Amino acid sequence: MKGGFQKVWNRNFFYFRKTWLVTAFWTILEPLMYLGAFGYGVGSFINNVDGMAYVDFFFPGLLCTTALLVAYFESTYTNYTKLTHQKLYASWLLTPLGAKDIILGEILWGATKGFIGSLGVLLISMLFGLVKSWMFLPALVVVFVLSFIFACVGMIFTSYAKNYDSFIFSSSGILIPMTLISGTYFPIDTLYIVLKIVAYTFPLAHAVDIVRGLMTGHFKIMFGLQFLYLILLAYVLVRFAISRLEKKLIS
Amino acid sequence: MSTSTVVHIKNMVKKYGDFPAVEGISLEIAQGECFGILGPNGAGKSTLMKVMYGSSQITSGEVFILGLNVKQHMSEIKSRIGVVPQEDGLDTDLSVIENLLIYGSFYGLDRKVISDRADYLLRLMKMEDRTDRAVETLSGGLKRRLAIARGLINQPDILFLDEPTTGLDPQARRWIWDFFKSLKEQKSTLILTTHYMEEAEFLCDRIAIVDHGKILAIGKPVDMIREHIGYEVVEFDCSAKDLNYYVEKVKAQNFDYQVYHQTIHVFMKEHQSAKEIIQHFLSDRVVIRRPSLNDVFLRFSGAQLRDES
Repeated sequence: MKGGFQKVWNRNFFYFRKTWLVTAFWTILEPLMYLGAFGYGVGSFINNVDGMAYVDFFFPGLLCTTALLVAYFESTYTNYTKLTHQKLYASWLLTPLGAKDIILGEILWGATKGFIGSLGVLLISMLFGLVKSWMFLPALVVVFVLSFIFACVGMIFTSYAKNYDSFIFSSSGILIPMTLISGTYFPIDTLYIVLKIVAYTFPLAHAVDIVRGLMTGHFKIMFGLQFLYLILLAYVLVRFAISRLEKKLIS
Repeated sequence: MSTSTVVHIKNMVKKYGDFPAVEGISLEIAQGECFGILGPNGAGKSTLMKVMYGSSQITSGEVFILGLNVKQHMSEIKSRIGVVPQEDGLDTDLSVIENLLIYGSFYGLDRKVISDRADYLLRLMKMEDRTDRAVETLSGGLKRRLAIARGLINQPDILFLDEPTTGLDPQARRWIWDFFKSLKEQKSTLILTTHYMEEAEFLCDRIAIVDHGKILAIGKPVDMIREHIGYEVVEFDCSAKDLNYYVEKVKAQNFDYQVYHQTIHVFMKEHQSAKEIIQHFLSDRVVIRRPSLNDVFLRFSGAQLRDES
């Protein structure tokens, strides 16, 4: 159906508007608590990292992890509930909406919600003087792409999940370790070479590099290649997510 | 195919892997008809329904809905039909009215149009004082009524109802039956599956009995009763050891009969009289009654229990 994915997105945005306060609590307030505890708390014991204050080093990573975790949780727990307990996809498929419309609409919504979380953190952080230049605008583009990637990843896990516990493997086994080694809490250069390679296989390390570079004014030519890698990954993952979910939705 | 044929199925087969859920069904349903599909669990009736409303793709054969081929035009078909699925599938994140508004938006309808129709349908369903209630707080009967309203939001040319009253209490069921009657009076086309014979007899102009993926019998309920059962049924309970003796008696008199467990059902055709057989069953365990669709159903599907599908 023409513009079908937008209708699915609209349904989710409609629900979001009803529940924005509780959503804001975990998508925006929680990261801000980390900002306080790590950025300012732990950061006060650290002279500098790569020549910058720890909180300035930590903040771009926080924007990235916020976006990807919010997108991932929306695409897993929420969408798995829609697929199984609420049987919403089955009833939406009775309308002219096709499976592709639903899957793409859900992924775009997951990406949007991750983006909103990250944007909220960024806007509030402006009050603390953490946003120093207009380069946060291109940085937000990278945040959205990252959010999109993890909305896809979440959807793919949803297609394999047997129950809610299935997601513990992907979140505790893959996502959380990734957020720890991707240059978010400490520079990636301090890692052993093997872990460094592992870190750069995942998209987060690239996104953190670019976002940090943009927000602190340290540009590198490499960013172009890294961004290209993210775009490519987004494309492959969205195709894979659609084909996985289509099989689930159409019998 | 005449212009008033809204469903045209030719030799349709649906397999799940190697398992044939539907094995070559042909069927025509006319506009304005209330058509019922009956069958035990796992008979293939839900699959047949799902093929018609586009939740299941056919393996072979041809299916045309409203003159459109399901293989090419499913999206357009879906925009012109309404479906009330077995599991209501209501959006529990939303209120009663929001369910209709959001669902209506999926049809690409104008906002104002959807909003007017939603108000109208909730009045029709006698739910106008519950518009802002959370779906979770509704009773089973009200949830089903909301699901029916949702199925009507696009003013469909055909309304599909998959076991519309399963799990409801008698009052809620009766309310829904009366509502369907009123839809019928407006010449709506209704296609339903049901386990309740009285529902099929009360509502349906024609029914098909489906089992093992095939249509075993099709026709008007009253004609089917006359043809396959007759005018009266004599039921006789007896002990296992006497069963053969009585069955021989019935056979000897050339009566049509069927044995379910330890009950002999003898079917009286035109010009046959129950008296002729009762004299052989001298017992207080004899019942003479009017035949119903239930008799037809049992005759075709047998009386053995089926596993839940």
